[in-house]
Amino acid sequence: MTAKNPHSLLKGIGNDFVVFWIMATGAVCIGLLVNQFRDQPLALTYQTKAERMSETVERMGAQAPTAAEVATKSDHLSLQELRIFVESKQGVVLDARPNVFFRLGHIPGALSLPRNDFENGYAVLRKVLEVDKNQAIVVYCSEDDCDDSELAAQALRRLGYTNVRLFKGGWAAWVDKDLPQEMAL
Amino acid sequence: MKRLLNNCRFLLAIRLVLGGVFVYAGAVKIAAPQVFADSIATYQFAPAALINLIALSLPPLEVLMGLVLLSGFKKRAANFSILLLMSMFLIFLAQALLRGLNVDCGCFGGGEPSKWKPWISLGRDILIWIAAFALYRDAIIPPESRD
Repeated sequence: MTAKNPHSLLKGIGNDFVVFWIMATGAVCIGLLVNQFRDQPLALTYQTKAERMSETVERMGAQAPTAAEVATKSDHLSLQELRIFVESKQGVVLDARPNVFFRLGHIPGALSLPRNDFENGYAVLRKVLEVDKNQAIVVYCSEDDCDDSELAAQALRRLGYTNVRLFKGGWAAWVDKDLPQEMAL
Repeated sequence: MKRLLNNCRFLLAIRLVLGGVFVYAGAVKIAAPQVFADSIATYQFAPAALINLIALSLPPLEVLMGLVLLSGFKKRAANFSILLLMSMFLIFLAQALLRGLNVDCGCFGGGEPSKWKPWISLGRDILIWIAAFALYRDAIIPPESRD
């Protein structure tokens, strides 16, 4: 087959497309089959992170949020305020990133409450958190653009915590200023 | 450049690297389909009913295509498949950037939606597309027919 024969070239591309189609169909079957053997199979319809978090929190006993609660955004702390908060141990700092990132490095004294495994993370921290639902809590995730900390903070408010704030800069801003870190390997 | 793109050893190296990249990218995503589904959602092009199906199917397709490319079996069709898939990735990424969306490429597992990271992904995808194009061109146009 050569480029000098456009007809056979097109026919060849058609054949290539058929092979692609066969592989794509096979991949769909493999993907669906593998999913059946997962510990937690992926549902066929996608749910956003916020919807999944809302379902998790309702399973944990919280009421459905009101429209006002949904619209409420968390108060923020600046980096300087967070430094003082951490150094003077004014409350609890929670890391909402996936646990693997927490283990690689986190703000000193922070506890892991991963957004993607909130229910299990909360069960581990229950004793520390439920001592006082009015205690000061600061949640952070990886960087400015991440939404894990906001979702975790909303979930905590729905579980009855009244003093939850965010550190928007997240781990990236903390590391950027070369501040102390802790590892949990 | 033309001599390089006609060099068999260079093209073999590209084929092996591309095959490896696709196997790795697919395997990482097979391990965490929910994270990949969240990445797809940031592109805002697929309805909710299709996002998880794509998240479950695309990674095995990448692994399959990578393995076929590495093995050398159906080389031409594998080159075509990689080129087609890369073209689709580029279109989806470019439309998201043009719409000013904060997307998480999701190319090698999950990350966080970001304003600037997708531009790096776009540059990388363009390089991979050029490599895939060179391989497919080599497969369909024999050296003696090239200008």
